[in-house]
Parts: sequence; structure tokens; C-alpha cells
Amino acid sequence: MPGSVTFCELPSLVEFVGVTRSYGSRVAVEDIHLGLDPGELVFLVGPSGAGKTTLLKLINREIRPTCGEVWVDGLPAHQLSASKVADLRRRVGVVFQDYKLLPRLTALENVAFALQVTDLRISDEEARDRGLDALDAVGLGDRADAFPHQLSGGQQQRVAVARAVVSQPPLLIADEPTGNLDVETAWQITDLLEDIANFGTTVLVATHNVEIVKRMQRRVLTLVDGRLVRDQPAGRVGRLAWAAWS
Amino acid sequence: MVVTRNAGRYLFHGAFRNWLRNLAGTAPALGSMTLLLLLSGLVGLSGFAMRNLAITEAHDASLLHVYLRDDATDDQVAALRARIEADHRVAGVGYTTKAQALARAQRRPGLPELVDATDSNPFPASLDVQVKQVSDVGAIDALVHDDAAVDPGYPTSYDQGAYQRIQQVMLGAAIAGAAFLLLLGFVALTVTANSIRSAIHARRDEVTIMQLVGAPRWMVRGPFVIEGALTGGFAGLAAGIVTLLISLALISAGSSSFAQVAPGVTVEVAIVAALLVFVVGIALGSGSSLFSLRKHLES
Repeated sequence: MPGSVTFCELPSLVEFVGVTRSYGSRVAVEDIHLGLDPGELVFLVGPSGAGKTTLLKLINREIRPTCGEVWVDGLPAHQLSASKVADLRRRVGVVFQDYKLLPRLTALENVAFALQVTDLRISDEEARDRGLDALDAVGLGDRADAFPHQLSGGQQQRVAVARAVVSQPPLLIADEPTGNLDVETAWQITDLLEDIANFGTTVLVATHNVEIVKRMQRRVLTLVDGRLVRDQPAGRVGRLAWAAWS
Repeated sequence: MVVTRNAGRYLFHGAFRNWLRNLAGTAPALGSMTLLLLLSGLVGLSGFAMRNLAITEAHDASLLHVYLRDDATDDQVAALRARIEADHRVAGVGYTTKAQALARAQRRPGLPELVDATDSNPFPASLDVQVKQVSDVGAIDALVHDDAAVDPGYPTSYDQGAYQRIQQVMLGAAIAGAAFLLLLGFVALTVTANSIRSAIHARRDEVTIMQLVGAPRWMVRGPFVIEGALTGGFAGLAAGIVTLLISLALISAGSSSFAQVAPGVTVEVAIVAALLVFVVGIALGSGSSLFSLRKHLES
């Protein structure tokens, strides 16, 4: 129908087309076909060694696929030259299990650092304002001057999330973001990621936390032995096949 | 303005701060590079002096003195001179009288005593033949060897193989110097590259974060290149100053003998050599940084 473009008809933000990645003779992921739409919160689950981290690394162009195509926000990650990788990474926020904060910088400096090293046109004042906004958004506006060692694990992860979204990337990927956190804090971080998705950012979370995945009722991708064995749409409560194996 | 300030802060200020912080780790690279550059400067100056010596020797070697009999008549000398001048291999012919030969000998080290030991003038008059090519000197010598005007006992100054021997010695010295510098260069490059690798390792988290958030490559690599340039620059500065001081000390200690041993090495040349050492230090430092970055810092 002319003029009526629905959300589903928009091109995917992330597109995997027949992607295989091998390390020598070991196949990490095999023949992955996948699309992530803007504003989706998607969980990526599977047992250890299933290929979750490999899939995230393929999106962030830390590695290239052995064959197949990976498209991220219109960029061909599978064939980007090293000099163009930074362009892609500015479109992808990343959150890690171990936070990866710089210990000699305060929370605000950690966030502002990520902003300024990607765009030299940003002044100190603008970086500070935007950094404080991001910290406010994750509920840490009052701890901006604290160093990482003065923050709890959950707070450090919030700073890491603020750093990942401060430049407002269209995609956020998180590798086991609740892996080092207690149950209550894990839920807080998950709520935060959901809020981010609600504001239009695509969020892909690799996790082992079955409880969170079940209760969130969002789209779930299940990887087993490098193969995408299930793509469960949001709103359905399915059996997590891999959980019985892990 | 903002871009300049941010670039300056992340590249230059950051590099200088990290360089100072890692000074203990950089010290071996700084020392070996200073030594290399100092030796390079001195070997370079020696090479320059040897090149000048070689030019002088080549000029001297192509100048053939044809010694004349004391009893040769003016007609015989004129005929010989005309015959030599007619040869296309000859650039020019001069004439030195016995008195001029004596005066020249008295200016050469060791010969005045020999001159004083005799009442007569032992030095013959000569035709001084400037041959165009050194390789033709032997042919000109053969041409004049049996002339009636030429001294049969000591006909010419031609010493077959003398010039070749000098050339061989200089070639050997040049090869040895180059090999020595290459070896030192390899050591300095390796040590500097290792110090940069340590710097990369020490700041691995920062580099990882920068790469993951999408900092441009030059922004990630730039500070390390500048750190290498700082190491090379300081080494070059120290080596340049020492090279200059040594050169000035040698020049002022014995200006006349130094000019003979190292012709062409003047104060101006020493300053240029010191500046070159400084510039080479910067290039070597940043070059070895780039080498290390390519090897140890994948995107």
C-alpha cells in the first residue's frame, strides 16, 4: 500500500546472512540467518561455548565471518577495512560482564572519555553535560565524581551502560551484563536495558540468566553448538531448550 | 579550536604524560638509541671526511709528475710538453722548476730535514700532467717513460695500484661502518619497539575501550607514535649535542692537523651533523613505534 510503511517493513538494523565463523577446524557459529529491528530488546541465550560472544564480536567487527554477510546499520561489517571499523563501532554501544571502566577516571570522566575520543568536536563542557545526562538516566547522577573502586558492581555496570549509550548509538550489545551481579541488581540492569530499548535503541543481550529471559517475555534467540536453533518472538513463553543442557 | 585543543590533549599532552610515566621502561631504549645516534653522527662525520679524502686522493692520483733530467734542454722539454698536450686523455700540463719543487718539499712534513742534509737541490724540475681519467695515468706514464728529457732513474710519480689500494681501504671502511650502523640500528629499533609494546600493554584497557567505542585509528595510535618520537627526539638531542661537542673539541684542539686528517669537517658541518642526528632520532623513534603498533595493536 503506497505511503504506509509499517515498522516491520523497515530494513533490519542488524542482518546476518548465512554467517559462519570458524577458528581453524572448530566452527564457532554456522549458517546464521538473523535480523534485528530497531527498538527491539533481544536475548541471546545458549550454553557456554554455543557461540554467543562470537556472534556479538561479529556485529562489532572484532572478528570477520569466515563466510556470509553481516550488516550493521547499513554498513557491511563482513568486508569493512580496518580504517572503517571505527565508523561501525560508533554505531554500536558495548557493555561487558566485567564493566571495563578505566580505574583512574571518575564515573563522569569514563563516560565523557568515550564521547570525546570518538568526536573531537565535542567540548569539555558539552562532554560533561552529556555525560551527566547519561549518568542521570542510569540513576547515578549523584555519583559522577566517584572512581570505579568506590562504586558497587551494579553501579559500575550502570556507568558502563551510560558510557555505551552516551553517544546515542542505534544498537547496544551486552555480553553477560548481569553475570557478576546479585539477583536484585541484575533485575535493575535489565530494567535499564529495557528502558533503553523503549527509547528506540536496539538492544541485544547475551545471557545465561534463565529467570530474566523467561520473565521479560522478549524475543529470544537460542544458539546451540554454533547454530541458531530457535528464534522465539516476543510475548511467548517458550521452553529454553538449552537450559536443560547447561 | 575545540578540535585542536582535544587533539592536542589526547595526542601530545597524553603522549608526553605517558612517556614521563613510563620513563623507567623507556630508559633502555633511550640509552641504546642515544648510543646509536652518537655513533651514527661520528661515523657520518668520519665518512664525510673520508669522502673528501677520497676526492683529494683521486685528484692527486690523476696528477702525474714527469720528472725531468737536470741536463734536459729547453727544446727537449718543450717537445715533450707538446707531445703530452696533444694527447686527448690529458686535461692540462704545468711546469715546476727545481726551485719550486724544493720550496714545495720544504712545506711537507719530514722533508725539510732531508733538504737541510744536502747542499744542493735534489728535487728535479717536472711537467705536472693532469690526466682526465685516473685509469689513463698508466698509459700516459708509458708514453713519456723513455723520452730523452725524462729522468731515466725516476721518470714519473706513477705508482701502479696506489689509488686502487686507497679505494679498497675506503670501501672496506665504508662497508664496515655501514654494517656496524645497521647492527646498532637493528638493536635500537628492537629495543624501542619493545618499549612501545610495553607501553601498549600498560595501557591495554584504555586502548581496548578506545577501539570499542569507535575512536579513529590515528587517535588510538597517535599517542604511541608521539611517545616513540619523544624517545627518539630526546636521544637525538643528547647524541647531537655530544657529536657537536666532540667535533668542536677536535677542531679547536688541532685545527691544522685535524684539517689534514678530516678534510672538510668544519664547525658548520658539525652543526649540520648534530641537526641530522636529532632529525634521524625522531624518525627512528616514530618509525619503530609504527612498526611495533602494526605488530601488537590490531584493530
